[in-house]
Amino acid sequence: MTETTVEREQTTEETVDRRALVLGKRTLRPVEVIEGEVKLQRYRPGQRYVHLLMAVSFTVLFLTGLPLLWEPLSFLAEGGYTRIIHRVAAVGFLAVPPLYLLVDREGAKELLRDSFTYDRDDVRWLLNMGRYALGSASQMPPAGRLNAGQKLHHALVLILAAGVVGSGLTLWIVAGDLTDAQLAWSVLVHNLTAGALVLLTIGHVYFTLVYRAVDRMHTGYISKHAAELEYPKWVEEFEQANGVSLNDAPGQSPDEDPSAADDDEGPRA
Amino acid sequence: MRSAFLLDLAQCIGCEACTIACRVGNELPQGVRYIQISERIRGEFPDLVGGFDNHRCYHCTDAACVNVCPSGALFQEDGLTRVNWDACTGCEYCVSSCPYDVPVMNDGVATKCDGCRDTVNAGGTPWCVETCPSDALQFGPREEIVAEAHRRVDRIRDKYPEAQVYGESQAGGLGVLVVSPEDPARMGLPAAPEVPTAAAVWQEAVKPASFFVTTLAAVGAGVLGVIARRNHLRELAHLHGDGGGEESGGEHGHGGGDGALPGGGDGPDPHGAAAAEGPGSADPVRTDDEVER
Repeated sequence: MTETTVEREQTTEETVDRRALVLGKRTLRPVEVIEGEVKLQRYRPGQRYVHLLMAVSFTVLFLTGLPLLWEPLSFLAEGGYTRIIHRVAAVGFLAVPPLYLLVDREGAKELLRDSFTYDRDDVRWLLNMGRYALGSASQMPPAGRLNAGQKLHHALVLILAAGVVGSGLTLWIVAGDLTDAQLAWSVLVHNLTAGALVLLTIGHVYFTLVYRAVDRMHTGYISKHAAELEYPKWVEEFEQANGVSLNDAPGQSPDEDPSAADDDEGPRA
Repeated sequence: MRSAFLLDLAQCIGCEACTIACRVGNELPQGVRYIQISERIRGEFPDLVGGFDNHRCYHCTDAACVNVCPSGALFQEDGLTRVNWDACTGCEYCVSSCPYDVPVMNDGVATKCDGCRDTVNAGGTPWCVETCPSDALQFGPREEIVAEAHRRVDRIRDKYPEAQVYGESQAGGLGVLVVSPEDPARMGLPAAPEVPTAAAVWQEAVKPASFFVTTLAAVGAGVLGVIARRNHLRELAHLHGDGGGEESGGEHGHGGGDGALPGGGDGPDPHGAAAAEGPGSADPVRTDDEVER
């Protein structure tokens, strides 16, 4: 086959692959070649859709909550329409945990476990995270599926989300039965936890853009190079779990790997 | 100028003229009242003592409603608590937080006495004061009203030994000074109406601090992000000899694996993963056979 033929066939296949990957319409393999680059599956479609629901609902909650906190925008809340939208978005936000358990129970359990489990490398990673924050990943202690910063982020999100949901439901459902002090504390907790979540989101977006990770959640795949640089221990686990050797077999196709046939389960690591 | 009302409960005859004048003058909708008069009888027969409670906004200086109002619909002006109905978002926090249970909801918006703001600004007197036939109500500069309240208490002390002025210090000083012929607690007036601690903490400290921290974080992340991203691109270039593109999709790996990692082996990557890969072997695109398949 000539090089031209290879390029033409790859281009055709890649276009279909990418769209299908994003929409989760086709069977997904642990390792894919997307636009000529070897990529490892990092997020399964269910995880990506749950993430999308959380991102959209949180953004709407933030935008409809802001007029209640910042007076220059309070005119947007006149008539109570933002309150209705806020509550609709709150239902979406509340649906995230049960939906995650429904579409990807293993992924949800893994996230919970990882968020609160830290090894020695994680501690060292956190002690050096200033370097990572400045864009340097190569000198960091090796990370597993999640680096320690992501673990901490997820743990804090889980705790703060519990706070914001608890206080939000209190204000929504039983505000009329609260004493003055209880109401004031509910408002304070709701505002503080929401504010802390906004700060975490700023950090989340920051690292996503610095490490050019938008495509990872968009397609569900991370480039081999980025994975090896940022999550070397995960790559090792990934190779073992999926029976592939990314370095030794440059032409390794997932099609050749028996373990890849079980597409619905996604990567094992 | 800090204004205030005088409410002399020893003089009130419960005629409800103030209630009606307030409703008519302010064109209040059906069911909404800013003043509610109720008769109160204490003691045991035959030693009964009668009187009237006058439930209304007391215009606290440390007003819980103003503190919890997220939109600025409730605000303070001239020592009184005003309402901008247009700005109300209908959250009802003021309804729940008022120690006197004053604000009420009307058509999805909180409402309460605003001290007849428009009338007073036009040079008039609040409707309730204008109408009171028994001189139980007055309106004027707060210093004068406080002095008048004390004069009245002194005058009735022989008849009402427990008489006292209520509102001088409560909630930072009320905008309604009450001449109470008895212990105010027995007149239904709380001894220490206060802004809930959490509401005060939020309004005075946490809210401004939160805005400052969030703005600082957003701006800091923007500036630092540019530097960090540049550092990371430089790191990728050092490791792989190119941009290591992932998100961009076009910077890295196009044209297959050949030459994609020319810098392998000499980078600072401690994991040896990318660094160990040589040119041509590092980016394992499919072989011709696989493409054909």
